[in-house]
Amino acid sequence: MSESFDTHLQELRRGTVVLACLQLLRTPGYGYNLLEQLAAHGVLTDANTLYPLLRRLEKQGFLTSEWNTEDTRPRKFYVTSAEGMSLADTLSTEWHDLTRSIASVTDDPGTPEEN
Amino acid sequence: MATSLTERYISATITSLPPDAQDDVRAELEGSIADAMEARLDQGEEPTSAEREVLTELGDPAALAAGYADRPLHLLGPRYYLAWRQLLRTLLMIVPVCAVLAVALAQVIAGASIGAIIGQAIGVGVTATVHLVFWVTLVFVLLERAGADTGPGWDVDQLREPTSTGTGRADLIASLILAAAGVVALLWDHFIGFLRIDGESLSILNPGLWPWAMAGLLALIALEAVLAVMLSANGRWTVRLAVLNTVLAMLAMTLVLTLLGNGLLLNPDFLQTVFIDNGVEPDSMRVLGILTWFMLVGIPVWDILDGWLKTRRDALR
Repeated sequence: MSESFDTHLQELRRGTVVLACLQLLRTPGYGYNLLEQLAAHGVLTDANTLYPLLRRLEKQGFLTSEWNTEDTRPRKFYVTSAEGMSLADTLSTEWHDLTRSIASVTDDPGTPEEN
Repeated sequence: MATSLTERYISATITSLPPDAQDDVRAELEGSIADAMEARLDQGEEPTSAEREVLTELGDPAALAAGYADRPLHLLGPRYYLAWRQLLRTLLMIVPVCAVLAVALAQVIAGASIGAIIGQAIGVGVTATVHLVFWVTLVFVLLERAGADTGPGWDVDQLREPTSTGTGRADLIASLILAAAGVVALLWDHFIGFLRIDGESLSILNPGLWPWAMAGLLALIALEAVLAVMLSANGRWTVRLAVLNTVLAMLAMTLVLTLLGNGLLLNPDFLQTVFIDNGVEPDSMRVLGILTWFMLVGIPVWDILDGWLKTRRDALR
């Protein structure tokens, strides 16, 4: 695929990782495990984007974290906070609105909706 | 295994992080890398190649650290770039020129050779420019890192009116008044005199200028007035008018400087009475002479440049 295609695809995907993380982490998860879950769901992201992102979301209060030392190795588990759930709901609503808008633009470009 | 690749990778990543975050990031990264390696080993990969692959996928530790610390990966971002550019442009238009002129003037007064004057002036111009760019940029880079405000944002009132290029009625009247004042001053100096020493009038300009050199000066003033009228009638600067303006300025500069250089411009009695009799040293007289030269060269050069700049601006309108 051409390079300019890639740039536009990246622009479109930016932000979807945040929403996917907030949704998946309604049940607690840790870095590598979350990376695999995202891949399984088809959300493409790199480890070096995801790990800093998790810490950033935690700092902003959308995730909380806890060290779990019962496993084979100590792992930092993240879980979506109440504020994070509210952000996830807002982002989801926006996502659906966008889907509808894009569908309307694609299916019937001639007659814009009247507001 | 104290210096395993993983250990070195983690150290390189956390070294630039805030101290309180270092241990946490280290522990989490160790776990994440071990998890990723384990997944590869389960698929039958060699331990050494698995480690290399996992670390390669994580990429440059500096980039990862920037992600953790939420640091920008650019020198100057879009929030600050425009303010930086505008300030730098303004300063670059003013500071190097002033520095070069000041140094050139100082060198001339100190009696330096023409080579030394040019060399020093160029050196100072380059140094001033480099310093200016460096320090202004540094301040903005620090501002961005500190998250400082860039001041009030843009608003529509900042849109510039098309700048007047001096072809309006007010400019014409100003030019004509200035020309008239010049003529009156020249005549007054000769026939009445600005100075009265012991009841006798003393002209500033050399009385020997009359009639021919003085006729030339008056003619140049008249031509400047004509140029002002032509500009006003034309409504805009054109290449033809800029050439005319340049020729007039050069003529005036040549005439005045030739007269000054040959000691013919100023009244010798005036210099004697006002300066030398009052105890002004010859050295100081020399400095005064140089200052006069700079002024007499500077004003026409500025006038010529001004004409061409306005021509360009009008051509873009």
